[in-house]
Amino acid sequence: MNAPRPYALLAELTYRCPLHCPYCSNPTHAPNARELTTDEWKRVIAGAAALGVLQIGFSGGEPLVRRDLAELIRNAREAGLYTNLITSGIGLNRDRVHALREAGLDSVQLSFQSDESDLADRIAGARAHREKLEASAHVRAAGIALSLNFVLHRQNIDRLPQMIALAEELGAQRVELANAQFYGWAFVNRAALLPTRQQIDRALQVAAEAKARLASRIDIFYVLPDYYQTQPKPCLNGWGQRYLTVNPVGDVLPCPTAAWAIPDLHFENVRTRPLEWIWRESESFNQFRGTDWMPEPCRSCPRREVDFGGCRCQAALLTGNAANTDPVCELSPDRARVEVVLREINSSSNGEPQWLYRTNPQPLSIQISN
Amino acid sequence: MDSHEICAATRARLAPQVRFQLDPVTRKSVLLYPEGILELNETAADILACCDGRTFAEIVEALGEQYDVDCRTLLSDVRQALADLRQRKLVELT
Repeated sequence: MNAPRPYALLAELTYRCPLHCPYCSNPTHAPNARELTTDEWKRVIAGAAALGVLQIGFSGGEPLVRRDLAELIRNAREAGLYTNLITSGIGLNRDRVHALREAGLDSVQLSFQSDESDLADRIAGARAHREKLEASAHVRAAGIALSLNFVLHRQNIDRLPQMIALAEELGAQRVELANAQFYGWAFVNRAALLPTRQQIDRALQVAAEAKARLASRIDIFYVLPDYYQTQPKPCLNGWGQRYLTVNPVGDVLPCPTAAWAIPDLHFENVRTRPLEWIWRESESFNQFRGTDWMPEPCRSCPRREVDFGGCRCQAALLTGNAANTDPVCELSPDRARVEVVLREINSSSNGEPQWLYRTNPQPLSIQISN
Repeated sequence: MDSHEICAATRARLAPQVRFQLDPVTRKSVLLYPEGILELNETAADILACCDGRTFAEIVEALGEQYDVDCRTLLSDVRQALADLRQRKLVELT
């Protein structure tokens, strides 16, 4: 199959993070292997640039825990890539910001858990909010583009107006108000995180109003939780079409959650195969590329090249088979599986389920059953 | 700033978070910005190459030397392109 050209690489430098957010999409059982070295990452960057990648996101976990972050940013800039740092802001003091700016960092996406510290720190499972505010000021002062990323869920979505006000106050140029998507830890904690329909309706209105009011100053992106939609999201703009992810141990993934959500698919590793071969030739990238793999109702659907059958990880998680239509789709024979979850969340008997905080990778991790 | 507010002395610059560079695969110019890539046609690329603090009048003059079009069309096209780029927050007009 002819492989298209990838445009963006997500470089997950580490799964380590000082925060413990229960909506984290990182795997609940991190692979037990050592992180890629600086030189291994440089080979990944060179390989990605050779494939045509123009954008790199340094992510994790918390990428700032890697001492070689500035070196890797410099390397990516020299390869002609636009460099984004996706961070909690913990450890982003003035000196670090300047070192990253010197290395050529173009943009920072800073996560916030809420607009005020009590709730934010409770969600993060760490005292973090105040340091994030300071980090945002350092980023602005250094003249680096600032995006704020808020992950919305049942415990914070009612504060959406205040979160937008915080973004205005901090001088963000771009704000993502993205409802939690249910992979990794978020999937485990879904009952505590998925908002009610009433919350979703209200938030949609708030976001639309803010988008109109702030149009000339801030780009606002609001992402619904797809369980409440009737057509699936065009996940990744299609499997293996534009994006690739390299995880901390070097597995190359069509999407960051694929190795966790689709354990029966074998993903290749940059330690044993060239990146170009993996992108073009590997079974994992070709498995769901294009439309030939599609079952009905996707195969004959006029939207098959609009939403690409939705999300493979979600199909795997909710139906047990990654090759099924995303069950969010109203045409999916498995839509009832989503409806059951929504009924549960919107029934008054749902109560207040507790969440599990994300834990850092350990050599022996605890089994969590869903 | 709408297109009708752009006057001869209006200065145009790339927005600070935006990079204007050559795509080594297609050999075409692109704009890179947070979570975005915009592939440019030749005319847009020529306009953006002038967005280095030059005024609208200077940009039109520079392009007038490259393009064989009448002055009225050139003024209107450049004005519209700058207004579009401003609206997408890719260019700053002052």
